[in-house]
Amino acid sequence: MDKYFDVTLILDFLPKLIKYLPTTLYILTLSLIIGFVIGLLIALTKIYKVPILNQLSTIYISFFRGTPIIIQLFIVFYGIPAITMLMGIDTSNIPPLYAAIVTYALGSGASIAEIIRGAVNSVGKDQSDAAYSIALTKRQTFVRVIFPQAMYQALPNFGNTIIGFLKDTSLAFTIGVMDMSGRGETLISSSNHSLEVYVSLAIIYYLTAILLEKLFSKVSQLTRKGDSLTTVYDLKI
Amino acid sequence: MNLDIPFIGVALQAMVKVIPLTILMTILPIIFGLLIAIVISFIQIRHIKFMEPLSHFYTSFFRSTPAILHIMLIYLGLPALIKLVADLMYISVDPNKIPVVVFVIMALSLTAGAYLIEIIRSGIISVDHGQIEAAYSTGMTHKEVFQRILLPQAIDIAFPNFTNLLIGFLHTTSIASIIAVPEITGTANIVAADNYSFLEAFIAAGIIYWILSLIIEYIQSIAEKRRSVYKEEF
Amino acid sequence: MFQAKNIVKSFNGIEVLKGVDLSVKTGEVIAILGPSGSGKTTLLRSLNLLEKPEQGEIIVGNKLINVNKTNQQDILELRKRTSMVFQHYNLFKHKTILQNVTEALIVVQKKTKKEAVKIAISELEKVGLGDKLDQYPSQLSGGQQQRAGIARALAINPEIILFDEPTASLDPELVGEVLEVMLKIANQGVTMVVVTHEMEFAKHVADKVVFMDQGKVIEEGTPHEIFNYPKQERTKKFLQKVSPDYIFKLKEQRQLQHTL
Repeated sequence: MDKYFDVTLILDFLPKLIKYLPTTLYILTLSLIIGFVIGLLIALTKIYKVPILNQLSTIYISFFRGTPIIIQLFIVFYGIPAITMLMGIDTSNIPPLYAAIVTYALGSGASIAEIIRGAVNSVGKDQSDAAYSIALTKRQTFVRVIFPQAMYQALPNFGNTIIGFLKDTSLAFTIGVMDMSGRGETLISSSNHSLEVYVSLAIIYYLTAILLEKLFSKVSQLTRKGDSLTTVYDLKI
Repeated sequence: MNLDIPFIGVALQAMVKVIPLTILMTILPIIFGLLIAIVISFIQIRHIKFMEPLSHFYTSFFRSTPAILHIMLIYLGLPALIKLVADLMYISVDPNKIPVVVFVIMALSLTAGAYLIEIIRSGIISVDHGQIEAAYSTGMTHKEVFQRILLPQAIDIAFPNFTNLLIGFLHTTSIASIIAVPEITGTANIVAADNYSFLEAFIAAGIIYWILSLIIEYIQSIAEKRRSVYKEEF
Repeated sequence: MFQAKNIVKSFNGIEVLKGVDLSVKTGEVIAILGPSGSGKTTLLRSLNLLEKPEQGEIIVGNKLINVNKTNQQDILELRKRTSMVFQHYNLFKHKTILQNVTEALIVVQKKTKKEAVKIAISELEKVGLGDKLDQYPSQLSGGQQQRAGIARALAINPEIILFDEPTASLDPELVGEVLEVMLKIANQGVTMVVVTHEMEFAKHVADKVVFMDQGKVIEEGTPHEIFNYPKQERTKKFLQKVSPDYIFKLKEQRQLQHTL
């Protein structure tokens, strides 16, 4: 069985794989949007210390940050039919795509909740003091004063997190999702040249991540205060 | 819900046996990764020609691509490379004899190195510039300032990021199940396939990972308390 | 004997120091005054080469350093013979007060731990912190931290101590304790160069006052000369603004307007 590393195969694989990049990005975007909503709600329960919901949120966040993605994918994939069976609905044939989106939405919700919570905390009591002193209500203060500043400060964090989620989507194929990695697996079976497929995938993921990074750094340049590298040899001494 | 709870117990028992392997797969890459990161820090601080841009590419690549690709590239690529080199040197080496775990650990070490560099870097940047100036003003050399003033505080600042990385790598080991390494997730797959109780098996796996993660977080909070003596802002 | 000659320094193309001279006699206390942006802090930081000027010479004792031809050795030697007290104290946060003071003694002067501790305790007692040796900076007030910073600078036994606006970050009631310590060491004959806004300190403790503006020394002289008989317009304007009489005059003007 000759298995030479065939570089030309990469050129063949790349377009086939890129065809499924939109699917990957679709999963990413949809789960992020839903995840943001979930994350915001959860963050609010923690920020305003809503009884019971507060504690449930803590457990929720702890679970999704304490377990690997593959495990989450499988639990959701097998769990949704099990739960809906209780209500008499048979969902054992749901396309894996939806299970994946649900999983990633729930998972990103947990991370985003923490980011939002941290950002809101860092805005500082002074701002809310000032808002209350001119008779804004709690809700107005949050919406008009605290939240905008928190989002502004959290932007760089969000950027990094999103690229992290892009990498997470690469595991969706384990429950049968036909995204870019999923297509990769089928290419491996049909061509028997797994290394070339993975190299091609690596190239695409890398370039996508770099592009996203450039995008975010443009956005966060508005918020950057000017890093100065303080390593010993960079001090101009 | 027809949840086979006793089976969760059975699954747990099977998986507990492989916790040591999983921990090994978590810790070894981080140790090797630290070594890599230290070497690269050195290269970048001293601006060593040729190596420095390479190190930036390394960091960028391993942080922008999914860990599963790292594992696959090393697992598939390295044996071929070894064979190639061995053939050129007329040594007979059978890469197939090397256990898969070794390749996983090598791959994850490279991954860890890239993340650890960032953690070290951000720790160093965050140290109060004024104290470094004060140290220089008393006549300390670069090395003395670095070792005695910069590094201890950088490590301290970076510590929470480090424990997050540790937890992240614990989770990353689950990817090895795809290439049949018998760690926690791999065992879950085996146990589940025998009994068709997938949900129960993965719930059990989830419980184990969750508890391990909580333990790491607990250790971190204890360490934080100890060090908070001088961290309190006045 | 400490001298700086013709110090020129630019930041981002803007000339912050345009050829400044400074000379300090042993045991002298010099106060450098001036508005923000005058370059007085940059000048101070050039004296121990925390800022590297583009041109100039520094003479400490019998050693001459040309800032264009320095090597690491020269810089280290300069810093072994000088020490600095910072506006934000810059104590090593991960070390106790005692350790902060012994650090340079052990690492730079290669003293034994026993010797270093002995010296450190003595200096810390002199600044009134003898009972706080094992505390961390975060546990002390601003005034206490600054006094610790002064002890750290004294312990090295330098030929000259540089003070960069030492009381500017302190609450008013804490300024006094730091100025007291500074007066004490001035009376002991320590050579000091102090960049400050504390006019009373400059008036009553300094031997020489140097007034800077826009990167140049405008005028220098004894406190009596500068505060009472300033020769340059810019000096006069500055002194007006910082004197307590100025606010009083503003108040008088307002009252006059009201009565009109």
